[in-house]
Amino acid sequence: MEERYAIEMRGICKSFGSVAANKNVNLNVKPGEILALLGENGSGKTTLMNMLSGIYKPDSGSILLNGQEVAINSPEDAKRLGIGMVHQHFKLVDVFSAADNIWLGDDKSGAVLKKDRYNTIGEMAKKFGFDIDPRKKVYNMAVSEKQTLEIVKVLYYGAKIIILDEPTAVLTVQETAKLFDVLRRMKGSGHAIIIITHKLNEVLEISDRVAILRKGEYICTVDTSSTGEQQLTEYMVGRKVELNIDRPVVEKTRPLLEIRDLTIRNDEGAVAIDRVNFYIRGGEILGVAGIAGCGQKELCEAIAGLRPIESGMMIHKGDNIVGLSPKSILEKGISMSFIPEDRLGMGLAPSMSVTDNMLLKKYDQSKGPFVDRKTGRAEAQQVIDELEIVTPSTETPVRRLSGGNVQKVLLGREIKAGPNVIVTAYPVRGLDINSSYAIYDILNKQKKDGVGILFVGEDLDVMIDLCDKIMVLCHGRVMGVVHAHKTSKEELGLMMTGALDLTNKYEDKPAGIARDSRIEESEEVEE
Amino acid sequence: MNDPINVLTLFLFNIVLVNIPLLYGTVGEIVVEKSGSLDLGVEGTMAIGAIFGYLAGCVANSLAVGLLVSFLAAGLCGLLFAVLTVSLQANQNVTGLTITTFGLGLYFFVGKGLGERWPAMTGAGSLVKGFSALEIPGLSKLPVIGKALFSHNLLVYLGIVIAVLVWWYLNFTKTGLRLRAVGENPGAADSVGVNTLMYKYIHLIGGSGIMGLGGFYMALYMSGSFEGSNCWINGYGWIAIALVIFANWNPVLAILGTLVFGFFNTLQIYAGSLAGAFPGSLGWLNTVPAQLYKALPFLITAIVLIASSIRRREGSGQPAALGLNYFREER
Amino acid sequence: MKNRQPLFHVVKRDHAGPGRQAAAYVAAVVLALLVGAVLLMVQGVEPVTFYKQLLTMGIPGSRYPWRSVENFIKLFVPLLITSMALALAFKMRFWNIGGEGQFIMGAFWAGFAAMKLGGTLPQPLMVVVMALCGALGGGLYGVFVAALKVKWGTNETLLTLMLNYVALYFLQYFAETKTDWNFFLDPDSARPKFAKFPANAQMITIPIGPFNLNLSLVIAAVLCVLLYIYLNYTKRGYEIAVVGDSPNTARYAGMKVGKIVIRTIFLSAALIGLAGAFQVSSAGILSTSVTNDVGWTGVVVAWLAKLNMVGIVVASLLITVLQFGCQTASTTYPSIDANFANLLQGVILFIVLAADFFTRFRLARTRKEAAK
Repeated sequence: MEERYAIEMRGICKSFGSVAANKNVNLNVKPGEILALLGENGSGKTTLMNMLSGIYKPDSGSILLNGQEVAINSPEDAKRLGIGMVHQHFKLVDVFSAADNIWLGDDKSGAVLKKDRYNTIGEMAKKFGFDIDPRKKVYNMAVSEKQTLEIVKVLYYGAKIIILDEPTAVLTVQETAKLFDVLRRMKGSGHAIIIITHKLNEVLEISDRVAILRKGEYICTVDTSSTGEQQLTEYMVGRKVELNIDRPVVEKTRPLLEIRDLTIRNDEGAVAIDRVNFYIRGGEILGVAGIAGCGQKELCEAIAGLRPIESGMMIHKGDNIVGLSPKSILEKGISMSFIPEDRLGMGLAPSMSVTDNMLLKKYDQSKGPFVDRKTGRAEAQQVIDELEIVTPSTETPVRRLSGGNVQKVLLGREIKAGPNVIVTAYPVRGLDINSSYAIYDILNKQKKDGVGILFVGEDLDVMIDLCDKIMVLCHGRVMGVVHAHKTSKEELGLMMTGALDLTNKYEDKPAGIARDSRIEESEEVEE
Repeated sequence: MNDPINVLTLFLFNIVLVNIPLLYGTVGEIVVEKSGSLDLGVEGTMAIGAIFGYLAGCVANSLAVGLLVSFLAAGLCGLLFAVLTVSLQANQNVTGLTITTFGLGLYFFVGKGLGERWPAMTGAGSLVKGFSALEIPGLSKLPVIGKALFSHNLLVYLGIVIAVLVWWYLNFTKTGLRLRAVGENPGAADSVGVNTLMYKYIHLIGGSGIMGLGGFYMALYMSGSFEGSNCWINGYGWIAIALVIFANWNPVLAILGTLVFGFFNTLQIYAGSLAGAFPGSLGWLNTVPAQLYKALPFLITAIVLIASSIRRREGSGQPAALGLNYFREER
Repeated sequence: MKNRQPLFHVVKRDHAGPGRQAAAYVAAVVLALLVGAVLLMVQGVEPVTFYKQLLTMGIPGSRYPWRSVENFIKLFVPLLITSMALALAFKMRFWNIGGEGQFIMGAFWAGFAAMKLGGTLPQPLMVVVMALCGALGGGLYGVFVAALKVKWGTNETLLTLMLNYVALYFLQYFAETKTDWNFFLDPDSARPKFAKFPANAQMITIPIGPFNLNLSLVIAAVLCVLLYIYLNYTKRGYEIAVVGDSPNTARYAGMKVGKIVIRTIFLSAALIGLAGAFQVSSAGILSTSVTNDVGWTGVVVAWLAKLNMVGIVVASLLITVLQFGCQTASTTYPSIDANFANLLQGVILFIVLAADFFTRFRLARTRKEAAK
């Protein structure tokens, strides 16, 4: 007898413009089963699930619910069909109580709000095995309580298929354990559960089967009991792709930037970077690899002086830059450049011209009250020529340029300042192949000029080819700093998920601390 | 003439009589703001409701027609605001201000235009009757408050009823819950299938309609006589915007707020008589400048605004997404 | 299953072609005139003659043509300055709806200086003092709202709105309270009435033949140029542009966003106060209707001009023609109110707001997805 799948996706394809987010993906989940959907950033997991929750429609392929083909055109359709998704960013009204947030989407009850709705919700939640306070306001809730509320919400609407998007990202270890108990209970009562995650240990703990996506393509589905971290990592990162990215060999200098014992908190107050040590030499590209949210954003912002740190040292060529604002860093003559991930929202002023954006960091340096646009224009033209930026003119607003050219403007500006350290986050995200290679060339040229580069990236193939060394962060801690030519994607993958810790691989040389450090005697590690 | 009890009674009576339109305006704007729109066009909306309601009421010699037309005419202003800001993503401040100037312009255009043909209210018997004082049996015979509270015209009680109904609607119906969600977090409402567009449209029209009723009241209060230089609404639309904040977006508190503001508003007219009638205790009233009374609603609201931005906003009724246009963008 | 997806969906446009925008404006004006024509005809007024009167502002064939021009300028200058000032604030996405209040405070303090010092200082110096008092008065009245917004996120739209009325009643107090110490009032009049300013506390006019050129026009023109240079060529202007475009980028570049906002709003409110001082010294007397609604009209002009300085000159010229023209035309046609201009203005703005949508967004056909 053929087992009916609670939900099945066949041959799903979805593209946005020229980017194919999902290519011929097959997925199925049985009732009373937990399926983990595993993949790196950009593998297409969320896009796929958004098609189940009615936010996107597939370009081609079909979705079957209990064997019947269905079309899910909107979130209401999904709700009606019994599909409920718990998003990464909660969709709750802060000033409402828990009960009211659920009642909002209730279509069956009457028009008048009755006091007994609190009891109804409370009872329902208990039936599912949850203990929530229906009267509690959302703004008073802890993150895990909010997540529980979102889960109760979808259950209340009668969801039989529940999708959770990176649910443990915001939870502590204990809360994660509680969540898993909940999931097991739901599984026991016949729900089909899909959990999107990249944490291998959790996959192995909670799921029955694992489906893996890589760069938009469906790889396979395996039984959890018959696999392990090694194999899953292999599936996730795949074979090494030959990219032919240059890696020039350059003589390195003493460390230009040294980070010691750095601890940073994120906006929510949790620890984003936890006692991290590393250093960057001139003429070297140090890659930073890690799952989204491993602390890279906070790290880059802290180094650039845009985020306060909790403790630790940041030494640039012997000068402590902790607590300095970006302006004072500039004034001190410390040439450091930060190329942020958010190009048009942070790195550039989108409605302003290329010329004006060139001036962004040094508009104040010209004498007198006027902005020196002549120099700015000349520099803009130089950068346009050198980096082959495609733009109608130097006065075009930068938001009209294509992604690759925007990034070139950003890079070009930062490089023009002649920094000796460049911090760049996801510089080729969203760019086509040619633009990406152009960026690699630019970075390599800088490297040859003796600049030290911190390269936060997400494509391991690229990083293994381009970087000299790669530092892997996991939950804000360094899992190891390895030579790129000696490592493998599997090793990196294992470090990224916290399964492998190489910080103490060499007993006499702790990772992240340079032998020829510029930090005073007491800190130096004697050879 | 200076009989103290009489003066006091008249004072209290007028607090209610003169200031009820504030309640209409405020409740209407509360409905609008709860849906997430900051409509600065209250003054113009009320003017439109006033003049068209009045004219229709006179022509049809029916209070009901007047009320209906004032609601619809003002509702059209709300529709205009909705089309521009909700569908066409125009800036809410500019749109609201334009509706005010346009509305007032239209008001004067129609009024001046009719000139000699302007219908006098005396010709519309049912309007006169509709605005005449009702004596609530029993209660109206009570000393002082009998006249002050229980001998008003129909529209006064209608206003209070509407305020209570809106309060009930917002807090005790599911539609009201959804409306509040739209004003707080349109994304969340959207995700559970609430049609945010429809909610904004309907409540902009409905809320504006309620404002229009208040305008109609003012028309009747002014005995329908059109003055070329001063609009009937006389700034009450702006005060209503202030009152919404003062009443913490709560229609029942708005009743209280109307009375408080009405108190100060009427006080400036009655200061002299009250001081005369109660020279011992209230003689000082004469010394307070009338303009301070007029400024008080705005001063108090300004202070409330500042104070509430310093505290955290959990106690506030201000919708979190107030004044922001909602655009659900595809990737 | 029924496909419930709409036929079109809305997508943000990359950029708006200037041709498209210009076409929208022309269409708006034409449509407004048409709507106005319909309304005029309803009143039995012949639209073409009315519009001719409006556009020529009653100047040809008038007995005192130059007087009309002078009055036109008195209407134009405060609107021009106020609109520029509001645009400055709006560029920072600071919704300064307090133009009326800042104008009144400027007028008040200029009047204060006039009444107190009018007799003692020579005219040129007096005018400067009044201008300074006006600018300071208006500036302080606006800047503290900016400080509150920067520090605590206070809603500036609502707060400046409230302050408008506080300022109005403040002025009314001095207009209506007849006491000994109230030096603002005319001592000879029994009822409270503002006194005329001493002769040398009036705006300087430069006689050119039969025409008296109001100095405030010259100053306004200079201010226009200065502001244009300030915004487009100076470092401070550059900062304003970046902060208005993307505050995150400004912070990334090391700019102190709060300081920039406060400084710019002070400038904005001070300019409006200055306009108030000009108004009151040109009129030679205080009045409770000193603003003539310029705080509201200024918002319309600034928005129509898309916060662009050159556009503001054009738009304020256009709107003043409309207003002044309606005023003069309505004397010939008693059935048409002088406020007719507000109607036309309103229609123009509505159409521009609507057309704006099509320059910022476009409708894309929802491609029919093939379900295999």
